Amino acid sequence: MSAAQITFDRSAERARVAAERRRLATIDLVITLATILLALLIGFLVMLVVGKDPVKAYQALLTGPLSRTLRTGRWLEDATTLIILGLSVSIAFRARQFSLGAESQMYVGAMVGAVIAIYVPMPPVIAVILPLICAMVAGFLIGLIPGLMKAYLNANEIVATLMINAVVFRLYDYFLTYVFTAPGAQQIRSEAVQPNAVLARIGDIFKFNFGRVNTGVIFVVIGVILVWILLTRTPFGYEVRTIGSNEKFARYGGINTKRTIALSFAIGGAIAAMGGVHLLLGVHNRLIPGMAAGLAFEGIVVALLARNNPLLVPITGLFYSYLRVGGDIMEQEAQVGAEIVQVIQAVIILLITAQVLIDLVKARRARQTSQ
Amino acid sequence: MAEPLIEMRNITKIYSNGVRANNDVTFEVRPGEIHALVGENGAGKSTLMKILYGMEKPTSGEIMLRGKPVTINTPHEAIALGIGMVHQNFMLVPSFTIAQNIVLGSEPLQSGLVNSRKAVEATNALGKQYGLAVDPNAVVDSVPVGMRQRVEILKALYRGAEVLILDEPTAVLTPQETIELFAAIRQLVKTGKTVVFISHKLREVKEISDRVSVMRDAKMVGTVDTADTDEERIARMMVGREVFMNIRKPPTQRGDVMLKVRDLEYATEAGVEALRRVSFNVCANEILGIAGVEGNGQTELVELIAGLRAPLAGTIALAGNTIAGNTPREVRQAGCAHIPEDRLTNGVALTSSISENLIVDRYTQEPFTRGGFMNPVAIRDNGDRLIEQYGIRTPDGTLPVGSLSGGNMQKVVVARELSSQPKLLIAAQPTRGVDIGASEFMHEQLIQARNDGVAILLISADLGEVLSLSDRLAVMKDGRITAIFSDVNALTEEEVGLYMLGIKQQTEVEIEQNL
Repeated sequence: MSAAQITFDRSAERARVAAERRRLATIDLVITLATILLALLIGFLVMLVVGKDPVKAYQALLTGPLSRTLRTGRWLEDATTLIILGLSVSIAFRARQFSLGAESQMYVGAMVGAVIAIYVPMPPVIAVILPLICAMVAGFLIGLIPGLMKAYLNANEIVATLMINAVVFRLYDYFLTYVFTAPGAQQIRSEAVQPNAVLARIGDIFKFNFGRVNTGVIFVVIGVILVWILLTRTPFGYEVRTIGSNEKFARYGGINTKRTIALSFAIGGAIAAMGGVHLLLGVHNRLIPGMAAGLAFEGIVVALLARNNPLLVPITGLFYSYLRVGGDIMEQEAQVGAEIVQVIQAVIILLITAQVLIDLVKARRARQTSQ
Repeated sequence: MAEPLIEMRNITKIYSNGVRANNDVTFEVRPGEIHALVGENGAGKSTLMKILYGMEKPTSGEIMLRGKPVTINTPHEAIALGIGMVHQNFMLVPSFTIAQNIVLGSEPLQSGLVNSRKAVEATNALGKQYGLAVDPNAVVDSVPVGMRQRVEILKALYRGAEVLILDEPTAVLTPQETIELFAAIRQLVKTGKTVVFISHKLREVKEISDRVSVMRDAKMVGTVDTADTDEERIARMMVGREVFMNIRKPPTQRGDVMLKVRDLEYATEAGVEALRRVSFNVCANEILGIAGVEGNGQTELVELIAGLRAPLAGTIALAGNTIAGNTPREVRQAGCAHIPEDRLTNGVALTSSISENLIVDRYTQEPFTRGGFMNPVAIRDNGDRLIEQYGIRTPDGTLPVGSLSGGNMQKVVVARELSSQPKLLIAAQPTRGVDIGASEFMHEQLIQARNDGVAILLISADLGEVLSLSDRLAVMKDGRITAIFSDVNALTEEEVGLYMLGIKQQTEVEIEQNL
């Protein structure tokens, strides 16, 4: 073969590529850290402008979640939910499907889990696993609806998932008010789940004040491993990644793209339902109004920050919920309004997700080196 | 001898990733000439022209225009100096009319508003002056590729270009459109313009240019008068070794019928009849070529066989099994491999690794998937083996396909499709956009596969290629097979051309005999 005769030093090339990869990874990391610093600086200026004490506020934001075990507990509890949601979203995102349905999937998971965990008496362990499995099946099915609409009817997945969110949210409200809430109850909320179904609080086990962090953190470990294996070690994961890379190519190569796309929504739904079960059995121990409000969008941020890599989702989830909890503490301690806290959070997220900025810096570097 | 209009002296360009795209290149263009710039993909010709057009900055070297040194930092400055460029990928607003596109950015104004009547007049006047016929009121989206290209040229002329750089202008054109383009280029030169023509189609270079500059491995090999050279010699300068322009093909015995297509009918979503009662056979050990002007149903035919579309009527049988209407995977498992027409958009996934690209047709099978899980070792080994066997130039199979050069991406497609040990191979436009070295490789591979017993269906708009590769030849016109020839050696390009244009046509009985 003529082309193979071209001499080509592969081992030297290999070393060069490996070095280049390391260099790019370092640059990426440095740029990410620099962006966080820049965002904090912008927040600093914002606070100066609105006449707050930025040093005190930042102290609250940056050290607050670690200042008391209760606050650390709040952080980890929030992170658990966000990481599960980030994992859920990352599957469809990998297939380049912009699914926004995690919220409805969480509510459905929580409701289905609640029916079993409240009303069906079960022995320990089973009392957690059975509601979990039923909730995940329900999340799978509710996720399948927009998936099928997108894959086979060519519906816009953003519209489809948002509309389903709206419908499910109202249904949740309805069922909570008229079915789950006992007649004559003081508050709109369901009965508590059975004691066997409760995910034990870590603080109760080790006898210290650790808030509502519970054994549901196991869901995170299981979820990360499951999603990582699913995406990198199974034919389905190969299909998802190939479709995300080039859908036409996937179809040409023989992949059943419609089936894979529909499944990517559904499997994400099952994982999101896991997050709903965490809220139900671990955090609130019952259904309460607006239980998952807005959380699904935070899950999207977590997935985007992690570039949809399931192994990075726990890190970005911990980071992002640290900001959320730190922001709450800043609001209390430094009397900075919730609005300013959100502005600062938004600036940080905006800057980090702004790939544009990173590319700009890279382009500048390239220009400088070429001159 | 005329004083050079443009001189690029000792240009060196090193990209930030360390790639040396131009290495001490000196290039000059005389006023009023058609100057061809040739070289294999990656030889540095596009980079050199991007430097001239202000899209890239040279690392060192200087540019002289009419004897005076100039610096060109942006395309805007290039245009101001009278240098215009027409890119391979057109940069037009698809929803605007042709006239709007041409005046875009320097519209004729009347009290602050665009004077669209004047824009149309200007377009007509320019078109007439240079022999570039366009319909000023047509929306760009709705006109054929050839006309879009004329719009790009007119756009550059409207901005006052004296020198026009055409980057592989014929790559997207049919033979007829190419003829029209060449006529227009000659007309441009007659009116005093200068044309730099980037290409790697030597026949065209020989036909149109006054002088040829050849680049290889980022260096300028030399500039010669076209009249003093021939295609073989230019090819040798480009590749750096002897090139066999004539394809050698040992005689083989036609084997059993592998692909049997009967009365295939297809209409597009818009209801346009694309295929009408198409019937033919492809046998083991033979290459059946399909000649035809593009857009006469070839694309639809290929996609129907490959399972990417379902026919309205008719049958397709592969080695005796009916495959019409089956999914792409079922068709592939029945033994069909497919080198697609637009390989770089459909044939590879750019952000996936090379190894993963090489298994898209077989990832569910052993050893790649075992017990429901994928086996990364098997995937890597398969990748390394094919990279070695097909000479894909990459240090590592885990790199994304997007890191390869165009020619090596082609090899990824060929490696995957041929290593599936197909019974039938569909090769659609296998050498479009491919340089000499890679097209030689492609031809060798196709003939090797044919000798090994594969049935090959070859679709190509390059008449020279179909004629030299095929054992038998069919011609498509308006979605019909209008002729099938069992002896290709007795055919001439002119003869086949008459069938392609629909001037001649075989009777049904004649076609039936050669099926």
